[in-house]
Amino acid sequence: MEEVTAMTINDMKPGQSARILKLNRGLQAGRRLFEMGLVPGARVKLVSRHPFKGPVLLQIANTQIALGRKMANSVEIEIQE
Amino acid sequence: MAIVIIGNPNVGKSAVLNRLSGSNILVSNYPGTSTEISANPVKIGKKEITIFDTPGIYSIFSEGEEQKAIRDLFEREEIDLILNIVDASNLERNLVLSYELMDLALPVLMLLNQIDRARALGIRINEKLLSELLKIPVIPFSATTGEGLQEVWEIMESSSPEKKDKAIKEEGQRNKENLSRGKKPLQECSLNELRMGQCNGHCALCSIPADTCMSYADWRRVEKARTTADMVSSSLGERQRILLEKTQAFFDSSLLGTPVLLLLAYLAFVLLLKFVAISEGPITALLEPLNQTIESFLSNILPPGMLNTILSKAVPEGLIIPFSIIMPAMLMVACIMSLLEDSGLLPRYSVALERAGSFFGISGEAIIPLSLGFGCRTPAIMASRIMPTASQRFIVITLLSIVVPCAATLGILASVIAAFQASLPVIAGTMFAVLMLMGFILSRLMPREDAFIYELPPLRFPLWSNVGKKVKMRFSGFFTEVLPLLLIMSIAVRALLESGFLEIFRTMEAFTRFLFGIPAEAFIAVLVTIFQRYLAPLVLLNLDLTPREATIAISMIALSLPCLPAMVMTVREIGWSGLTKILGLGFLTSCSVGIMLNLIL
Ligand SMILES: Nc1nc2c(ncn2[C@@H]2O[C@H](COP(=O)(O)OP(=O)(O)O)[C@@H](O)[C@H]2O)c(=O)[nH]1
Ligand SMILES: [Mg+2]
Repeated sequence: MEEVTAMTINDMKPGQSARILKLNRGLQAGRRLFEMGLVPGARVKLVSRHPFKGPVLLQIANTQIALGRKMANSVEIEIQE
Repeated sequence: MAIVIIGNPNVGKSAVLNRLSGSNILVSNYPGTSTEISANPVKIGKKEITIFDTPGIYSIFSEGEEQKAIRDLFEREEIDLILNIVDASNLERNLVLSYELMDLALPVLMLLNQIDRARALGIRINEKLLSELLKIPVIPFSATTGEGLQEVWEIMESSSPEKKDKAIKEEGQRNKENLSRGKKPLQECSLNELRMGQCNGHCALCSIPADTCMSYADWRRVEKARTTADMVSSSLGERQRILLEKTQAFFDSSLLGTPVLLLLAYLAFVLLLKFVAISEGPITALLEPLNQTIESFLSNILPPGMLNTILSKAVPEGLIIPFSIIMPAMLMVACIMSLLEDSGLLPRYSVALERAGSFFGISGEAIIPLSLGFGCRTPAIMASRIMPTASQRFIVITLLSIVVPCAATLGILASVIAAFQASLPVIAGTMFAVLMLMGFILSRLMPREDAFIYELPPLRFPLWSNVGKKVKMRFSGFFTEVLPLLLIMSIAVRALLESGFLEIFRTMEAFTRFLFGIPAEAFIAVLVTIFQRYLAPLVLLNLDLTPREATIAISMIALSLPCLPAMVMTVREIGWSGLTKILGLGFLTSCSVGIMLNLIL
């Protein structure tokens, strides 16, 4: 499970849960991710993905968050069953 | 005494203030409703208290106009108490901001708002334990039912600013100074975080500005929020919760949800048009006797002459048309929007339409101001603040000003279309084509940054009391704005017609006929849109047009300039240069539409 293949939120399937490992640095929107509770250590669940590269829908605790694909790509995760 | 309300977006800050003060501030179920700080004087017992309502934020240390406005408020005013409004059903996320507030060393009072909804969802919170852990008073509260109101009043009445500890005051002062310089208190950076990937480098190690990344202090607060929330809350499954979760899962699945959302929108639109069409007849019939009474009354008491002719026609017209055409449309739009809003469905459109929006160069959030525009454009322009960048705001305001028809416009357009048997498909098609084209061009001119992130409020069963209040608030504009304006303007328009002033424009006849295929007077109607778009058709109704001429003229009117109130709002929001651009674009659009239709039809 070493950083050979860094998975991102975009690699998740609907219904899967994961733990956030890291937010890729250099991202100006990092602070907005943090504001929405997308921080290292947080558990997220993928609710659905919208077609045509549309946003993904996440569940963090009791909140639902829609995330554009670019943003989703910059969040590294570790799948948890 | 000065109290400032702070909390995450959409937790019920405005609703709480309404409860505390009995005032009427717009409350809605999506983030970004209150976009400005408002000062509200409230009298509790013998005390005069000023309560500041602020826009929702997730962190006071972030960059952004709202955060800056709040920091300035702390700087400017001597704040005695922070009223931290928290969504009881979403404690973990809300507590992060609470921990930031407690770092300011000002007294904080926490309201666990929406406790009624949290209970219905089967969430239980041990508020005593929470209060002990945070060392601040915590009160379960419901803005909807009024629970907890008495306790809050008591605390506000008894807490006196003078008794504040001197040391605390000094520390607060220091933190306030930090705030105003945009610095975070407690900022640290360790090699350890760098290795763990938690630091985006706010320190000297990299060049990202501190307020766009996450610091160690931020991360600590997140951790504390998580453990605290876990300790104090427990949840038990309940019927309502399970049902709601199922509904939510349905709307949020992309395959089923999106088509259903679109179908709902279509049905709402059909309902609106049908309602307007059906109600017009009965309302007119009902008002007809009144209409005649006013007309004969006016023509009897006034001396015969031009004034008599003008007033005896214009006054009944200016009274009846709003009631028979505009009122049903406004009422229906108010109901539909309030339902969509209170149920939490509206923001779901932003997600479903995010891809479609990217074609216009705007992100999904745009759906909120754009759809509000179908009610009235003026508040919609204000709601465009939800857009992440200035250029996206400009696109949204432009589309709102030129393309989106408000309820009043819709109602009156529908009736004019019927009166002249103009072609609805051509007019609707033209509007749609302009929307696409304009979005396409604007988005190429101002490319958007791809950083869509948006919190979806929970779906809930609409509360009838909430919906009722919203409908009332939306609809009150009919009596305070639409009715008086239309009455005055209808007199003005009638005066113009009777005075023969418009004859001057006869000389332009050849010109307008050649260019747009419409008579000169119809072109005047297009110019009248500058005052109020829904007035323009009033001019048309007095003319004698063929269906083709009417189709062109109506299309030109439907796609032209924003009304006066919308323009005032535009200047407030994006300044004169923005308005000038939009006016130029609107005029250009209207003329091009006329020329194109004249060539095609
Ligand atoms: N059930 C329930 N709903 C509430 C309560 N307070 C606010 N709301 C709803 O929550 C939504 C957001 O309220 P609003 O005051 O606009 O939130 P703000 O953005 O924090 O000012 C609205 O739909 C309100 O009707 C409450 O105590 N109970
Ligand atoms: Mg508000």
